[in-house]
Amino acid sequence: MREPLQAAARINLDKVDVLLVDDSLPSLNLLAQVLLGFGVKNLTRAESAKAAQALLRERTFDLVISATNMAGVDGYELVKWQRRGALEANRYLPVILVSGHTPPSQVFKGRDAGANFTIAKPITPKIVLERILWAAKEDRQFIECDSYLGPDRRFKNDGPPAGVKGRRREDPPEALRPPGAAGGQAGLDLEKVKP
Amino acid sequence: MSTVRKFRAPNRLSMLVRANGGVTVKDALAAADAALEPLRAESLAVLDAALAEIEARFGRSAATNRAAGAFQDLYALALRIIDVSGFLPDSCVDQAAVSFCALVDNCAEAGTWRWDAVDVHINALRLLRTADLDPDQRRAVIEGLNKVSQRRIDEG
Repeated sequence: MREPLQAAARINLDKVDVLLVDDSLPSLNLLAQVLLGFGVKNLTRAESAKAAQALLRERTFDLVISATNMAGVDGYELVKWQRRGALEANRYLPVILVSGHTPPSQVFKGRDAGANFTIAKPITPKIVLERILWAAKEDRQFIECDSYLGPDRRFKNDGPPAGVKGRRREDPPEALRPPGAAGGQAGLDLEKVKP
Repeated sequence: MSTVRKFRAPNRLSMLVRANGGVTVKDALAAADAALEPLRAESLAVLDAALAEIEARFGRSAATNRAAGAFQDLYALALRIIDVSGFLPDSCVDQAAVSFCALVDNCAEAGTWRWDAVDVHINALRLLRTADLDPDQRRAVIEGLNKVSQRRIDEG
């Protein structure tokens, strides 16, 4: 479980270069205001994924926040492209997607896009800040294969099911696995498949 | 079998966020709320305009020609409501608009409009936006809408 916001914790977004992408101007303005309120000074807005792609080819950023539902190239396609087609320095940036509605037909596309986190609209400052801090503390490894490039889609790794030795180098020995990490239905956790 | 590579990617954000200076989380949230406030009237106007456009193009008053409307247009209008509905916390307008999106997506997938369900969503959005309902009543409206929108056309 990722930690919730601590009111007294200090954050510094002064020097963070953020690229904000949304083809809905009202939504773009709301997100921009929230980030300015957080103290972000270097904020670049893109009103389409195409415009964002041009920027991601030209200069480096520290964080991308993009809407998913956009005409033409959508947010999922933008992230997928970014992970392989952007400037080298931009390929592994934390990406937060913001979605008004995800049709069932897009769920797998969302999971496989390669974003770090997804936020449901309407946005609230608390959730946006929480996800930014989660992205800053991201400890998942990147996975690269033919069909995917992005953070490990498992949020928790309890190792292989009970009684199974495991075939990955990083699989912990059974004695060191957390209690409740046994396989079967009880071990299933939706947190593991969140994008 | 494809090759899988695992690696730790550099995260500049992590380093920058921890730099000296900055503000407390509490102050950052208060500043963000204050920064949003000037957009309240404008955002609610966007919401009302989207609802009015939905009624004009896809409501009962447009019954004679609404079937010519594009699924994507109504979906985009419902999304616009979701975008700005954060200024109406606890109104459930956002949830009604999400249900509307689900309905339109189902219709698009089936290639057929369900006008009874569209009308119910428009009426509910108008009700949630304007009427003085208590939380239980709002919740009941949303539960009803979700049942309507999640019903697939092939279920009869």
